[in-house]
Amino acid sequence: MSLEKRPVTRFELLMDAGYGAQKAGDILLGAFVGMGQYVYVEPMIPAEISPPARSRAALSGVIIRLADFDVTNIGNDTDLILAAHEVVLDRRLDDREFNANAKILLDMGDQEDNPESYEMVLKRCTKLSLSVIPFNVDAESRTLIKELGGKGQNLYYLGMLSFIYNMDEEIVKKEILKTFGKKLKEDIMAKNITLYHNGYQLAKEKVFFRVEVQCHERPGQQILIDGNTSMSLGLIDAGFKLFSGYPITPASSIMHTLAKNFPSYGGLVHQAEDEIAAIGAAVGSYYAGKPAVTATSGPGLSLKQEFIGFASAAEIPLVVIDVQRAGPSTGMPTKTEQSDLLAALCGSHGDYAKIILSVSNVIDCFYAPHLARYLAEKLRVPVFILSDFQTANSYKVVAKFKLAQMNGGVDDIPDFVFERFHMKRLAGPVQMVRTLQTVPGTEGGMRRITGLNTDEQGKINYFSDHHQRSHAVRNEKIHQVRRVLTLPEMFGKDTNEVLIVGWGSSRGAIEEAISLCEKNGVPASGMHLRVVYPLPLMLKDVFTKYKKVMTVEVAFGDPLKPSPLALLLRSETLTDVRPLVADATGRPLRPRIIMNKIQEALK
Amino acid sequence: MTTDTISKPAPTPITIKELNTENPRWCAGCGDFGIIMGLKRFIVERQLSPSQTVNVSGIGCSGRAPNYFNTYGVHSIHGRAIPIALGIALAQPGLNLFVHSGDGDALSIGGNHLIHGINKNFKCVFLMYDNEVYALTKNQTSPTTRHEHPTNTQPQGTFLNPLNPITLVLGLGASFVASTADWIPDHLTNTMKAAFDHPGFAFVHISQRCPHFDPNNFDHKNSSWFSFLKHPNGIEPDRRLAAKTETVEHDPSNLTQAFSYGAADRRYFGLFFQNKDKPRYDNILHNLVEKAPKKDPSKILDSYLI
Repeated sequence: MSLEKRPVTRFELLMDAGYGAQKAGDILLGAFVGMGQYVYVEPMIPAEISPPARSRAALSGVIIRLADFDVTNIGNDTDLILAAHEVVLDRRLDDREFNANAKILLDMGDQEDNPESYEMVLKRCTKLSLSVIPFNVDAESRTLIKELGGKGQNLYYLGMLSFIYNMDEEIVKKEILKTFGKKLKEDIMAKNITLYHNGYQLAKEKVFFRVEVQCHERPGQQILIDGNTSMSLGLIDAGFKLFSGYPITPASSIMHTLAKNFPSYGGLVHQAEDEIAAIGAAVGSYYAGKPAVTATSGPGLSLKQEFIGFASAAEIPLVVIDVQRAGPSTGMPTKTEQSDLLAALCGSHGDYAKIILSVSNVIDCFYAPHLARYLAEKLRVPVFILSDFQTANSYKVVAKFKLAQMNGGVDDIPDFVFERFHMKRLAGPVQMVRTLQTVPGTEGGMRRITGLNTDEQGKINYFSDHHQRSHAVRNEKIHQVRRVLTLPEMFGKDTNEVLIVGWGSSRGAIEEAISLCEKNGVPASGMHLRVVYPLPLMLKDVFTKYKKVMTVEVAFGDPLKPSPLALLLRSETLTDVRPLVADATGRPLRPRIIMNKIQEALK
Repeated sequence: MTTDTISKPAPTPITIKELNTENPRWCAGCGDFGIIMGLKRFIVERQLSPSQTVNVSGIGCSGRAPNYFNTYGVHSIHGRAIPIALGIALAQPGLNLFVHSGDGDALSIGGNHLIHGINKNFKCVFLMYDNEVYALTKNQTSPTTRHEHPTNTQPQGTFLNPLNPITLVLGLGASFVASTADWIPDHLTNTMKAAFDHPGFAFVHISQRCPHFDPNNFDHKNSSWFSFLKHPNGIEPDRRLAAKTETVEHDPSNLTQAFSYGAADRRYFGLFFQNKDKPRYDNILHNLVEKAPKKDPSKILDSYLI
């Protein structure tokens, strides 16, 4: 028996969809956290509910990065894979996210019926010099799994992983009870616990290594939360009173969380008939004085565009959350991408005012609603919060957030929210196209709003001077934000050979890549933008301190077509910004690949 | 939210003059004049506070209506007045809410919202201005254009039979379905009254003249082609025209009969159907908040503690 001590490791459990891989992941996560380890979890979810078992489309799993220090991203490569059968393993090997010396635990249960397929995949593993540890579920457990209709297999694997990761069996059992306790009948629960135990025993007898990650005492109260849940709670804390949405992956879970909790905090959840109706009700609510928000993903963002322009023209505050997924069109609903930046920036017709915020982790998810509400109401423009599949679904343990409880006006917003987003409070009053901005019900304040151009009095006006004025006033609102933006978050030296720039969910990978670069003597620094539009005025000057400025994005770009952020930075700074990583594979960024590409770029 | 304080004038009776803003930019003889005058007469009669009244519209000739009322108003985007109105109803339940929508706005681009506005049955008066043509975009076939009537998009004559707004909304389960016309002011105002008093989504179909693009859509000088529906629970037939045409008794709780009047070749003005008991989505959502156990907002994260 070998015991490997590691500061950080990554493993994954691969099964067919519908058999509880993610549930097993949740239990492991709870147990690791209980033991004082740092984890970052990425679920792998197919876009369908239950694709045919033993098909490549059925791959459903969980990737867990385990560390004795705080981890900000899912990391580079996997050290251990536990696969329920050869098909999901084969599918996952395509992603090439494993270490050269990765270990593979492969359940041979399906081999008898699929000898050729197993042989092929085992050969593939040999070719890749991966060490495969085949195993068979014991006879008693096979019977139990059959009795449970195939459902307990995840607990068996969970048992194996518990042994391998040197976990206290009792802590894990407690987590199992916490997760299933109320839902399962006693006898079924007992069978599941037996399966867990049998898995643990099997690993003890057949697997000859264990991995240990050091535990830490963490000071203060900690919470375990994913991005979409954090965003939902942030909306409540920021004082929103209406959530209006239409089901769409991966934004729906925001609506689910609010549907359960919002009424207890005085908030309404409206499930609209379509994406356009969802944003329309948010516009109506904000016009009538109740802070409202809509959340969607790419296809929904396209449908909402006309209303976004309307909100800008009619000067109605509006907050739009876009949890990005891989596009174009339906794309890959359960894969991550950052390619809606330009749709937010230019998606509605005409020159409309807008602010684009982005989130890089669960903490940003909580506070972005506060800042979005502040900016939307102060400027009376649409404010986007761009999240993505990865940020929305990844779980993390963080120190409990300080609450803002913005139930009064938006001036209650605490300073630390501005600091987090690298900006200051708006300076001075904001001029509007229309002088009067009353809310219905205000005595004597009657006014009409329209998407047509108007003068200061709000009267429809098609005259040239007035239309030019409206544009200038709307754009000045955005410039006011531009002027209070401070230096974005920087990693590494403030002058260097290479500066890599990213936004939103790329932060963790950039931070870790730069730290890797520093350890390896690669002369690179990093920049991360939380406010993506407008951009701060000093950006061009900052860029001159680096020989090369390159973007890191989960969006497509090639030598002839800059990726979205590169395009924006080029146009705003006249700097020759090029994409360094512009991969739209649906997989998160990997720090080591970023470093490798920097090294290539320096050649 | 910015809520500018406006110096509060002493309460004086609301008059038509106070409800006027600018001269509407509609063609001479347009039926829209009659419709907004009918609504203004109703607002004056009820003395509805302009500060508490919101007119919401989409796009088209009818879309301009809110601009011509000195109340609150949203002239929104094409077909989307209903979502905006619902947002307002959810934010401020007490406001007097009127939705103005044309035949293209309501039945074509905004058709999905009409289905769900009716199904949600939130409290508003929905005025469907039906001139049977796209007019502001200059004479194209609309969902209610007469079969074979030539337009700029179907110059050979409109290809299909028109949609029937009355049977359509009856079929959708509308809780209030009435029909009137822009040139019968008393009936129009009485219809607004009944619609306003209805506890839910009140669908009012209004035959509207369009002298510029289709002077023959409705023969307003002749009354023989329509009948009035009459009932103690219904809408009083127009005093001036009732004598000139047929009046039929129709109980507005009789849905089957409502369908047959709605489907008839002859046009009927009056209350087709009313059901005051249909659940209201706006009330359901507000009750949900009212009845939900209140939770301490300072403990919002506590269930996520480890």
